Amino acid sequence: MDEVPRANGESNDHSNPSKKPKISSSLSLITQLQIQQEFAHHQDGVARINNGSFGSCPASILAAQRRWQLQFLRQPDSFFFNYLQKSILQSRTIIKNLINAHHAEEVSLVDNATTAAAIVLQHIGWGFAEGQFHKGDAVVMLHCAFQAVKKSIQAYVTRAGGSVIQVELPFPVRSKDQIIAEFQRALVIGKANGRKVRLAIIDHITSMPSLIIPVRELVCICREEGVDQVFVDAAHAVGSVHVDVQEIGADFYVSNLHKWFFCPPSVAFLYCRKSPLSLNLHHPVVSHEYGNGLAVESSWIGTRDYSSQLVVPEVLDFINRFEGGIDGISKRNHDAVVDMGEMLAKAWGTVLGSPPDMCPSMAMVGLPASFGISSDDDALKFRTHLRDHFQVEVPIHHQAPKDSKVGSRNGNNCITAYARISHQVYNKVDDYIKFREAINQLVHDGFTCKVLSQK
Amino acid sequence: MSHFTKQGLSPFKTKRGFLNLHYRFSFPCIFSPSKRGIDTHASRHLDQKPLISDAELRFEFAHHDPAVARVNNGSFGSCPASIIAAQQRWQLQVLRQPDDFYLNRLRPGILHTRTVIKGLINAGDVDEISIVDNATTAAAIVLQQAGWAFAEGRFNQGDAAVMFCHAYGAVKKSVEAYFSRAGGRVIEVQYPFPISSKYEIISEFQKVLEKARSDGHKVRLALIDHITSMPSVVIPVKELVEICRNEDVDQIFVDAAHAMGCTKVDMQEIGADYYTSNLHKWFFCPPSVSFLYCRKSETLPDLHHPTVSHEYGNGLPIESSWIGTRDYSAQLVVPEVVEFVSRFEGGIEGIRKRNHEKVVEMGQMLVKAWGTNLGSPPEMCSSMAMVGLPACLGISSDWDGLKLRTHLRECFVIEVHIYYREPEDGEVNPVTGYARISHQVYNTIDDYCKLRDAVNKLVNDGFTCGLLSN
Repeated sequence: MDEVPRANGESNDHSNPSKKPKISSSLSLITQLQIQQEFAHHQDGVARINNGSFGSCPASILAAQRRWQLQFLRQPDSFFFNYLQKSILQSRTIIKNLINAHHAEEVSLVDNATTAAAIVLQHIGWGFAEGQFHKGDAVVMLHCAFQAVKKSIQAYVTRAGGSVIQVELPFPVRSKDQIIAEFQRALVIGKANGRKVRLAIIDHITSMPSLIIPVRELVCICREEGVDQVFVDAAHAVGSVHVDVQEIGADFYVSNLHKWFFCPPSVAFLYCRKSPLSLNLHHPVVSHEYGNGLAVESSWIGTRDYSSQLVVPEVLDFINRFEGGIDGISKRNHDAVVDMGEMLAKAWGTVLGSPPDMCPSMAMVGLPASFGISSDDDALKFRTHLRDHFQVEVPIHHQAPKDSKVGSRNGNNCITAYARISHQVYNKVDDYIKFREAINQLVHDGFTCKVLSQK
Repeated sequence: MSHFTKQGLSPFKTKRGFLNLHYRFSFPCIFSPSKRGIDTHASRHLDQKPLISDAELRFEFAHHDPAVARVNNGSFGSCPASIIAAQQRWQLQVLRQPDDFYLNRLRPGILHTRTVIKGLINAGDVDEISIVDNATTAAAIVLQQAGWAFAEGRFNQGDAAVMFCHAYGAVKKSVEAYFSRAGGRVIEVQYPFPISSKYEIISEFQKVLEKARSDGHKVRLALIDHITSMPSVVIPVKELVEICRNEDVDQIFVDAAHAMGCTKVDMQEIGADYYTSNLHKWFFCPPSVSFLYCRKSETLPDLHHPTVSHEYGNGLPIESSWIGTRDYSAQLVVPEVVEFVSRFEGGIEGIRKRNHEKVVEMGQMLVKAWGTNLGSPPEMCSSMAMVGLPACLGISSDWDGLKLRTHLRECFVIEVHIYYREPEDGEVNPVTGYARISHQVYNTIDDYCKLRDAVNKLVNDGFTCGLLSN
């Protein structure tokens, strides 16, 4: 069984067992070799350009996590009574500062954005059940909202009698002004007939297709149009774009920390602006702390492994080994992914799905139209084909063109699919070259998705 | 690492998207990392490895703090080193190539676990088995559904839920959050503690249901513990379920958080509608994993996992198998755990029988040493026993119980859960504190001698809880 790792200078101090030992060279930046070592557990031979889906976690953070896990297993009662709550509070406080929240009690730690959505939407569901909302009152969401969130709306809002207004955003898109105009228009139409909008759910960075949404402007529009509450689903945001909850001004804001913030799977925070309306949010898994505020409720939802929530301090240490910290990392990721995206689009004769300033650490790169990707199913099969035959991991988005004149063109044909490439600190130019060559090979071979349907 | 192979049948798709690809396959399958077929019986077969030796057993629990007399397996359970290692192998697989893992390996691994559990608990169909984090989550699933029933008019305001006064605190909160909040009434069943026979529980339960009927309160839900937490007692669930059926209770939910690995668990015999047990308490799984059994029935409503994701509407087992990106590794090591328990004489049955005998023996040793009593007869003890503490310790509140527990941990390096029992009027020199001692395979007699001697010392020193600061 694995021994608790002991590095030079580490004391047998169980009062803070996960604390990384201070290294005398901690002032020097992390080197390329050290980065490679931190991600040596990633599968060799795979061009892993999909950090957006499941994130990544460096080896030193995994080691910190194991120390916490072993501490629990060693003496769980003592861990529960003496360490767990204060360590969660420490993580929450770091996040509060990171996102510019005012109070640590506004920050709850949950498993993932999916859980946060359930918390907010269950609260809306109760609003209908208890008569504060009326049948037909509406919830607004983006048409490209994450599928799990759409299901959650179905489960808690539609089921309770609420209606849903979907805002269709253009894609490909030329500027954020298009998004703002479309949102405004759809919200006004949706509110026609005096429908009351109880909640708007706005992505900060959409998943598929991936774009940075001008959340601050959209939140303002919501306020102007009398929307009760605004929930920003920012699953991808922390570690990817600058996050300031005062600036954004939403009532609820969630981001995963295991996607772009180097935490192990899984941990997310849900920020709830202090207000009378936010008092009655509850974690759906009800335990001893019910009624003590969402943050405290979320800190104990029965016996389970909370270790991924406890390594946030170590993650901050890790990030600060990079030039510019998290801002430096996200800027370099953005620059690199735009660079690589433009390189690929040029090689394939296609385009990016959005201008660079709307790309976070991900970019939507048009795929050659000759592949004939004409459905979500085709896109999934194509992704599998790339994984199985070329060892490239990249998600594919199918975009049905509304009008062949409006869609992006690849030669004389419309682009119907985009690859969502990511860039994280472990990526290399070779990853994207491998992808470029794979696509070039497929074009050269006259590949179309019809071939995959025959399997 | 071995790779999962799809044997023969191709995936079929639904309109809902890629996560609804269900891979059907035949057994035995090659699942990394154990490469074993399904072992639906936890007992040892003659052609398997030799029995685990004492040295191997010590090694398996060497990560426990060796200084601590750890007699509280009931609260947080325990996990052997070889299972932790298996779990870490699963975790590394995910980190290595998460897309491939989540798309291709996770669901078959969970299905394997569900199938193993179906066999262990004698369920009729694997579709009846969902894997969730813990019994607390299972309770939320069952109770949230009841909340919807009120909102959607299937239950009427004032319809009742019946549960024990000693039901687990978190479950009581869940009842408040979902049932009471939605307009339901809660009726508690009291029973005495110390208790002298299961008939005391049966008769009280019957009386409560009869009264509910005569008062015109429709009982929609009965929540029955299989083994209560504090004070810990084995409840005669089979008899209580029968009473519920006779009294036309709509839904029967058995909270058996402790049961798996601690008492006999047979779904056909017990006959409840919903049954949940943790696997990390007494079944050697890492934290945390539990199952929720939902009897297949035309009349029971659909349950949903409260964390709604892509699989919403595809049945609770499938919904529960994907609730967003997270660490599912604890759910995947159940097959390895079955192998582990098969290395003990008699498998899991042998383990729990020996645990029970030992804990009763140790309990009787302690009551003799302290001049107190057990809280229940031996046949109502599981792998835990309630041992009366000397009255002179002056435990006069829940808070005193917690303080004494902390004192024992910090000054005597003993971990034991303490229960405060409110005395009846007129009781002279009542025993108001009970230690809930556990016995699991890693315990030795020294653990209980240490507890015995610690309490004796406290008595000799004239210690009372009043001396402990808040």
